[in-house]
Formats: sequence, C-alpha cells, structure tokens
Amino acid sequence: MADSLISVEDLHVSFLTEQGSVRAVDGVSFDLEPGKSIGIVGESGSGKSVTAKTLMNLLPSYAQVEGSMKFDGRDLREIARKKEKHFWGVEMTMIFQDPMTSLNPVKRIGEQIAESLRIHMNRSRSEAMTEAGDLLEQVGIPEPAKRLRQYPHELSGGLRQRVVIAIALACDPRLLIADEPTTALDVTVQKHILDLLDDLRKERGMSMILITHDLGVVKGRTDEIMVMYGGRTMEKAPTSVLFECDGLHPYTEALNATIPKIDTPSHTRLVPIPGKPPEVIGKIIGCPFVPRCRYSTSECLTDMPPLVEQEKRHLCACHNPVSTPEGIKARETNQNAGHTPAGLDMKEFETSAARSDTGEL
Amino acid sequence: MKLNLTTTKRGSKGLSPQDEDSSLIDDEKREKRKIGFGFWVSIGWMILVVIAAFLAPVLPIPDPDQTGAGGRLDAPNWDNWFGTDTNGRDMFSRTIWGSRVSLTVGFFAIVFGFAVGGPLGIVAGFFKGATDKFLSIIIFILFAFPGLVLALLIISLLGQTLAVVCLTIGIIGVAPVARLARAITISISEREFVAAARILGSTNRRIMIKEILPNVTIPMGALAFLGMALAIVGEGGLAFLGLSVEEGFSWGKMIVLGSASRTLQKAPWVSMFPIGIMFLTVMSLNYAGDRLRDFFDVREMGIGGG
Amino acid sequence: MGFILKRVAQMVAVILAATFLAFAAMNSLGDPLFNVVGFHASVDCDAVLAGEIEDVSGQGGTDVGDCEVVEAAREKYHLNDPLPLRYVRWVGDVVQGDLGVSFKNSMPVTTIIGNRIPKSIFLMVVAEIFALLIAVPAAIRAAYKANRAFDKSATVSSFGFISLPNFALGVILFYLFVVKWQIFPSRYEDDDFFSRLRSTVLPAMTLALPLAATYFRLLRTDLITTLQEDFVLMAKAKGLSDRWIMFRHVLRPSLFSLVTVFGLSTGGLIGGALVVEQIFVIPGLGRTFVEAVIRDDFPLVLGLVTVISSSFIAINFIVDMFYSVIDPRVSRET
Repeated sequence: MADSLISVEDLHVSFLTEQGSVRAVDGVSFDLEPGKSIGIVGESGSGKSVTAKTLMNLLPSYAQVEGSMKFDGRDLREIARKKEKHFWGVEMTMIFQDPMTSLNPVKRIGEQIAESLRIHMNRSRSEAMTEAGDLLEQVGIPEPAKRLRQYPHELSGGLRQRVVIAIALACDPRLLIADEPTTALDVTVQKHILDLLDDLRKERGMSMILITHDLGVVKGRTDEIMVMYGGRTMEKAPTSVLFECDGLHPYTEALNATIPKIDTPSHTRLVPIPGKPPEVIGKIIGCPFVPRCRYSTSECLTDMPPLVEQEKRHLCACHNPVSTPEGIKARETNQNAGHTPAGLDMKEFETSAARSDTGEL
Repeated sequence: MKLNLTTTKRGSKGLSPQDEDSSLIDDEKREKRKIGFGFWVSIGWMILVVIAAFLAPVLPIPDPDQTGAGGRLDAPNWDNWFGTDTNGRDMFSRTIWGSRVSLTVGFFAIVFGFAVGGPLGIVAGFFKGATDKFLSIIIFILFAFPGLVLALLIISLLGQTLAVVCLTIGIIGVAPVARLARAITISISEREFVAAARILGSTNRRIMIKEILPNVTIPMGALAFLGMALAIVGEGGLAFLGLSVEEGFSWGKMIVLGSASRTLQKAPWVSMFPIGIMFLTVMSLNYAGDRLRDFFDVREMGIGGG
Repeated sequence: MGFILKRVAQMVAVILAATFLAFAAMNSLGDPLFNVVGFHASVDCDAVLAGEIEDVSGQGGTDVGDCEVVEAAREKYHLNDPLPLRYVRWVGDVVQGDLGVSFKNSMPVTTIIGNRIPKSIFLMVVAEIFALLIAVPAAIRAAYKANRAFDKSATVSSFGFISLPNFALGVILFYLFVVKWQIFPSRYEDDDFFSRLRSTVLPAMTLALPLAATYFRLLRTDLITTLQEDFVLMAKAKGLSDRWIMFRHVLRPSLFSLVTVFGLSTGGLIGGALVVEQIFVIPGLGRTFVEAVIRDDFPLVLGLVTVISSSFIAINFIVDMFYSVIDPRVSRET
C-alpha cells in the first residue's frame, strides 16, 4: 500500500538477557492509512507496548530490532540512525499510560508544552507560551492561563492526561501513539479522554495507534483492531467485522469476556483468563496461547498457526477458531477429556464461571 | 502448565497493564541480590588483618620499638619488608602492631555506639509518641555537632587514653546508629508478626527482644562495617591533630610520623605502607558493608562525620 | 512566612540545646577554675576556712593566700552561681558578640576566631566547589552511558576515594605535589588572593576528592533512577535532544540526595578541614582548636564549639529550605 502513513512489516524485537534472548515482538505487520486509527489489544507482555516503543525509537540500546518500518515511505530506522532532529515529536509522537508519571514533576505545565514548540517550531518563549494556552483550551482545560503556571501535582489525573495530550499535539503530529491512555484514570474520566482523542483525531485528520489491554476501549472507536499475544498477531480485522462475531481467536474471545457489558447487572464478576501471559525466551514452537486455551489440539503444541484470512478482511492465527467446526470440535474433545493437550484443567473455566456466580474472586 | 515451550516468570493474574520492559528490570534486581565474590575477598582481608593483629606477639617479626632492626630509613628489602623508619625500626612489624590500636578503636567504638544507639533507636521506634519525641530530640542534638568537633570537646575533657578515644568515637556513632535502628524498628513494628505477638499477649519487652531485635540486627550489621571503617579513619584524624592515644602507636600515628617533610622526601614508604594497609582495610569494611546493605536492601543510612 | 519562622525557631532551639550540652559538659567535667588560677585551685579551701589547714601564701613571694586567689577568680567568672544561671549569662554575652577571653593569652575569643576563620572558610568553600565541579559532570556522563567504560571506571575509583581517609590523601598529595614535584609551595602563603588560592588548591583537593566521590555516587544513582521515569520517555517522544533532556528534565529532580548529603557532609568537611590544615600547615581554626584543647582553654574551646556547631546547624537549615526550590511538591506546610 503506497499511501500508508505507517507500514510495519514482519517486525521482530528481542531483548538480550542472561537467560537468553527474550522475544518481545515476533513477526508483526500492519498498515495504517492517513487519518485512520488502529487499536492494538493485548495483556501485559503481549508485545504491544514494545511495538509502539520500537516505532518511537524508545527502546533501550540492548534491544534488537529486525523487519521494516516505514513512515510515509521513509525508513524509520534510517531516521533514527541519522538522529533526525525534527521527526519524533513532530511527525509522530506518543502518550503514555500514567499521567501522574509522564509529566515532569518539577517543571511548570506551560514550560512542558512550550518547549517542543520552541525546539521544533522555532517559536519564541512568549509565542510558545501563547500557543500552549491555546492548546490547553483545545484539550478542554478550563482557565488555561492559570494552568500554564501550575505544576503537575496541582492537577487531577484527568486534567493531567489532557495536558499530556496537549503536549503531544503541540507540533501537530500526523501520527499519535496512545499507550493505555486511560488505564490509570477513573472510569468516569476514561470516556471523556477517549472521546477527546477521537474528536481531536478527526478534527486534525491525524492517524492514531491506540494501545490497550481493554477490548472495550477500542470497541466502536478505532477503524481496525489487532489483537496481540506473546509478541504475535493473533487476530486482525476492521473493528466492525471483529465485533460481528466477538472474535474468532480464542484469546480474543477470552478478552471479550472480560469487558463489562451494559446489559449485565452491576457487580457481576467478569470472567478472568486462567493462567498468566507468557514471557518468551528462546525460540518457541507452537502457539504461545496454548497453555491457556481451551480450544487447543495437539497440533497447536507444535505448529504456530499462520495469520490467514478466515473470513473476508478478517485475519486470524488459529487452527481451531471459535465458532468454526474445528473450534467447536476441539472444545468438545477437551471437555470430554477433562483437560487440554497442554495439560490445562478444563475445570479452571468452570470455577471461573462458578466464582462469577457467587461474586467471590 | 506442563508445557516447556515458554517460561513464565512473572505476571499478574488476569489482566494488568504493565510495561513489558519491567521483567528486564527484575533481572537487574536479582543480580543485586548476589553478595558477590568481592565481599568474600573483603572478609578474607579483614580476617587476615585481625589474625595478624592478634598474633603480633608471637609472629617472627622484630620488636616494633627496637631501634636498629635495620638501617635508618631503609627502603623495603628482604629483612624489612616495609623498610625502616627514622629510628631504624622495622615498619612491617610496626604496621602489624599499629593495627592493634586502630582495630581496638574501630571495634570498641562500634560496640559502644551500638550498645547505646541500638536500644535508644529501638525504644524510640517501638513506643513512638512522647518517648520517641524525646529520644529523637537527643539524637537530633547529637547530630548538631560535627563529629570531630564533638570528639575534640570530649577529649579536651577526658584526656587521651585508649578508652577515651574509643568512647569518643563511639559517642559520635550513637546518633546515626540510633536513627537507623529507629527507622527499621518503625517499619518492622508495622509487620504482621509483631501485631500477632501483641495479640498473643507478649509484653513489650519480650516483643522488642524476641521479635524486633533479631530483625534489626541483620541490617545493622551493614552499618557496623561502615561504622568501623569510619572509626578507624576517625582515630587517624585524631592522630593528625595530636589527640589520639598518648601511649603506644596506631596506623594514624605512624602516618603522622612518616608525613614529616623530610621523612616523606627521603623515605615515602614510612607513611605509604601504613596508608596502603589502612586503605585496604577501610575499603574492605566499606565494600563489605555496602554489599550487605544492598543485599538486605537497607536504605536511610546515617552519614557520620569523621 | 510562618513556616520559615517556625524553622528558624527550631534552629535556634537546637543551637541552644547543643551549646548548653557543651557548656554543661565543660563546666561539670572540666575544672574551669584550674585553668584560671592554675595550682591555686588544688588547695582545699573548705578545709582552710574550717581552720584545719593553713592557707599558704602563693609562690613568688606574694602575700595573697591561695584561697583568696580562688575566691577572686570564682567571683570574677561567676563560678559560684548555679549552672543554668551561668549558661544564661553566657548566652547573653554571646548574643552581644562576647565569647569571653582566652585563659591563656587574654585575647577575646571572638578576635582569635575572627582571625582564623576566614582561612578555614575559604578552604572549605574552594573544596566544595572542586567537589561539585568534579562530581556533577562525572555523574551526568556516567549516568548517561551507564555501565559503559567511563561509568565503570568512575564508579570503581569513586569507591577508592571514599575509602581513602582525607589525611592519607593529604599526605599522598603533599608528597607528590610539594615534596616530589614541587609544584605547590610547602608553606601557606597569604600575600594576596592568588597566593592564597595557590596555597589552598592542594588542601582543598584533599577535601574535595573523597567528597566528590560521595556526591558522584549519589547523583549517579539518582540520575539513573530518574532516567527510568516515564516523563523521560515522554520527553524523548517529544523529540527533545538527549542533552536537553538531561539538563532540563533529569538533573533537577535528581538533586535530592545530593542536597541532603551536601548539608550533612559539611560536618565531615569541617572535621576534615581541621585535620587537613595540620598537614598543609594552614593557620586556620584547626590549629587553634587543637591548641585550645591541649591547653584546656575553656572559653576558647567553648567558643569554637559554639561557632562551628551553629554554622553547621545553620547550613543544614538552609539546605532544608532549598528542597522546596528544587521540588515544588515539597510542601512548605509540612
């Protein structure tokens, strides 16, 4: 796709540790057109944040990156190597999970917004400060003039995340990567921030990569969704297509089950996914989700399923996708055996369900 | 999970948004947890020095006060490993004998500092309230004196005997020891096993001795090493002011004698050997203390003036 | 303002408590009388008054009896008053700038200290400047490229300098730069500012190197911790240069431990200065202090303890105030 704003192909990222090389991202590809948005969803350890940091050139030096990343046709790694001055922060930028820690506690808010403008846009101190005030207004912060002179600790979490957004937007970037932008915030504030991001994106024709562990956050917001697990892409589809079937991949199904539904009574316990996310050291064979998957078959232990188009524009990497004949069969077989081929007791799923009934967890 | 395809080291149950990099930081932390080879080298050196000091009378070395053990200001040679001083005394022998005073000061100063500061800090941290306030004020006032100034004050009043020098440096150590003991006690008092002991009806005294003291002792060990280093250095400082022990000689006094311009010009080894041995000893103590502190993760160290 | 006043009051209280401790110790453990009247003080005046023994007249053919000398001295120095009263009187004098008169040469203590203190202060200020000039750039460089060659060698050598007592370092530097290479003068020269500076370089270095090692280690650790903060990642995402991030974002929040230790280490620095002055023969407070201690010059020792401790307390007070400058989160109310 020539007109992609960002195009990632077969991205591999690994970290060298004493125990061996940790594969954080293992063959991820995606494209994003200008003005569009994509949601990358997965638990911690799924490789979603590492993917984002790789794009932003924020990885520590011991990270090994392979594959191709292009921004508007230009090689990102080349740009990083040349230490291009006005690229990051100007063309693409990123905001982080916790607004409590992503603002410098000892600098006034005005300065933190204005410094990008001064450095990248060549504004004078006073020009930059005026623009910073305008930006604060755009992100919906009341009394911007007063806020400019305040320190981060004087603001609430929601306001701080708005400030972070204002900082990110200062140089009018073409791509914004938002890494769990609302996770650290109160539920009531979360929606406001997500709506704000949506509005700003549409106003400015900006592209956005929204990273989250919460499938509910991207539902109905981003144009496309990519589900990651163990550094691999598990499922990728336009948002509307994905939610038509609530996910083909067992992992997506499990993530989906953790979203609070409007129509369920309040205080209903959500179903957690049994087991823990993996940390992949060395080369893996088979599907990383196997230890936690109730649709797994012996094939899954040895062969990583390729990411293929299961349905139209709906890519999934699974031998036994949910609600396909293979999937239903695999699940029944496991149910009858009492455990999966990987040794996961099928009762884990029942107990989760049972707990959700009694409200204990 | 019987499968060995993946190693699961950590991760929270269910969903938690956490940085993928955090696992790498964990590795670094675990690395710190090893006490390391250097620690044992330091301990080895300290044992060597202590044994030499103990055995000084029976070691086949010349009498440290015997003049004419070699020529005057002889360079190091086979008979006099560390050379000789202006009076022709053997510097190797003197360095070993000199360690006896330095180590004695280091040891007893710390014993005193801990014997007074430890209980003070534990009691303050345990009872909190008025007791804590009162004891904290005393600690605070002791901190108001620069270490050496306090030492000069005490020595001017009590004289220059070995006991007074130990006592003086020990008093300087009281405040930092008490402060650390207090901080640790406060954090331990909030732990479950202390609450449990309290519910089971243990007396305060029993809780302090049975529950708190053992837990304070381990991290305080690190401070003991660092404090001993400071005490040995402190004695040297007093020696330079002419206020260390009047009788006998220590490393500090030897360095003072060797640092006279003329001696330094003709025979730098007279001062450099004691400096070197003292340096290695102080460094071993510091290193061992540092490792222990990292190992037990003790924060909030007092900086004693020396 | 209320906050500052409260802290000042606290500071004054600590100074009073510390000086009272010193005053009481000197008066109860020492025998000030002996220092004034010498051997006269050894006479048992109670026994004389009771008529048990005869008051022998003093040596040197004077007609004045020992007890009369003692009594006169007691009267003159108010030694018959109770301790607290004497302390209050002493504080009253100190506030008016009177620290008493040296027992030995009858010079006012303030004059003696006033003559000596500038050299000591100059030495310590130069030492602090050296220490910071060495430690701060080294720590920034080391933290920026943590675990690389520079960081490793600087960390190892800083450990060495921390373990090298300042008098030992002083002897080594004196040997190398004065005795062997004769780069610096062996005597303290005080003709003009430059000769004074020249004479101060070596002793200041002696004090500065171990201090710089301490500063380096603290600042390096804090910088590395700060560099792992999210706001540094954010700053990188803003496309700020490493240099800008280091100096404009990371340095200031990393100064906490350094500032704390800056205050606390002044105590060690003062002690170190007293010792180092001996090695480099600087006529500062160190020599005076030692002489006063050896001669049991009660007013001079007390005066020195008062002046030095008060300065130390005051420095730590100022350091405390400085926290809120570094970090706006430090509330002035707590």
